[in-house]
Amino acid sequence: MVSPVLNVNPLFAVPFGEARLAACDQLNQELEALFLQRENAEHRNPTPSHIPQAETFESRFNLFHWPEACVQELRRFMLDAVARMVIETTTLKAEDLGRLKFHNHTWFHVSRYAGSFIAHNHPMASWSAVYCVRAGESVAEHPDSGVLRFLDTRQGANAFTDPAILPLKRPYAVRPLDIRLAAGQLVLFPSYVFHEVAPFYGRDTRITVATNCWFAP
Amino acid sequence: MNATPPIVVPILATPFGVVPLPDVEAHNPALNELFSARMRAGASAVQSSPLCYRSPDDLFERPEQPVAQLAAAMVRGVATVVRAVNDFSEDQLRSLRPEARGWFTVVQPDGGVPAANYPLTAWCGIYCVAAPEPSSTRHDSGVLRIYESHFGPMFADATTAAMRLPFRPGHYGWRPVPGQMAVFPASLTHEIAPIRSREPLVLVTVRVRFIGPGQQGVARW
Repeated sequence: MVSPVLNVNPLFAVPFGEARLAACDQLNQELEALFLQRENAEHRNPTPSHIPQAETFESRFNLFHWPEACVQELRRFMLDAVARMVIETTTLKAEDLGRLKFHNHTWFHVSRYAGSFIAHNHPMASWSAVYCVRAGESVAEHPDSGVLRFLDTRQGANAFTDPAILPLKRPYAVRPLDIRLAAGQLVLFPSYVFHEVAPFYGRDTRITVATNCWFAP
Repeated sequence: MNATPPIVVPILATPFGVVPLPDVEAHNPALNELFSARMRAGASAVQSSPLCYRSPDDLFERPEQPVAQLAAAMVRGVATVVRAVNDFSEDQLRSLRPEARGWFTVVQPDGGVPAANYPLTAWCGIYCVAAPEPSSTRHDSGVLRIYESHFGPMFADATTAAMRLPFRPGHYGWRPVPGQMAVFPASLTHEIAPIRSREPLVLVTVRVRFIGPGQQGVARW
């Protein structure tokens, strides 16, 4: 067998970012208390785009307009990370980005036993991010309880498999990516990527903040 | 203004068939009891949690008469959908050799079946043995949800978001009905949405492919 020189690179790659908020315990406690206090009709999203369910509360999309210090601290962390993601993955420089108007829709979810969220993406947005305030209880008998699952964008690519392509490794593997979020963890991705939350079977709460961002000249 | 109506046709359409299996429906109670007995006996499961049991995919090799009848009817049912969406002659259809693997799934309240699709398979059929009452609070309780399979249209406005079937973007949901089988391409990602009723949902799934005369490249399952 000859050994040709081969350069292998990922094509059609999806950027996926991750950041951690250091020393976030106090902030997360304040956020959790605030969200649970406002888990009511006044703050519920009045026009949900997906099927509402009793097990998962979705707030209005104006979270980052709230004046509370804990919310504004989270806002800075999440939107700065989105900006960093744009700079890392595009040809834009910081000064280019600074000239654009930065929009966001941001909300929180509180999930309880058997709460989930249907697979979806976010039309009319460019970048999305999810921050974990509280991961919720891990459940041994439900290993995918509450995972944030990203669906592979290459639909149909696994319809034919054989022993030489089935064991593809990351980033080439054709399969979903499950992320078990930890408190203080932020994940960032293009808004076109379909994602879902598997049913959460903890006896406590799973709390996240999600943002959709778009930019205009 | 030109009053001539435009010609609008669906392109890139996805076939989805619903096939009643009345001869099998009569045996649903027996099938349900057989499946319950296998679960109680601790038969090995491909996927098992307190809220979802999926048997191995050798169901159609079982000797029980109701299972054999079910297997034959499901494969025939898939073939009727194949015939409906192709221009095969009877001779051409008879020349195709079906291969099928089947399994049963019992989904308990608050449980669901995670999204999946099936490589090396042409068609998927899902037959309903027993279904809970619809939930008054969750209209997607226990539905078979087939995920949007087109490239996600990331630009939307008031007109594209409101199109009717078969043009509407987004997932498609079908509520399992005892005695009926849904048939669709096995490459489509699909799931059973969490059940918000008090009774379990009992399903039989078959994955089918048809081997043409002399066809190569179809590996064993």
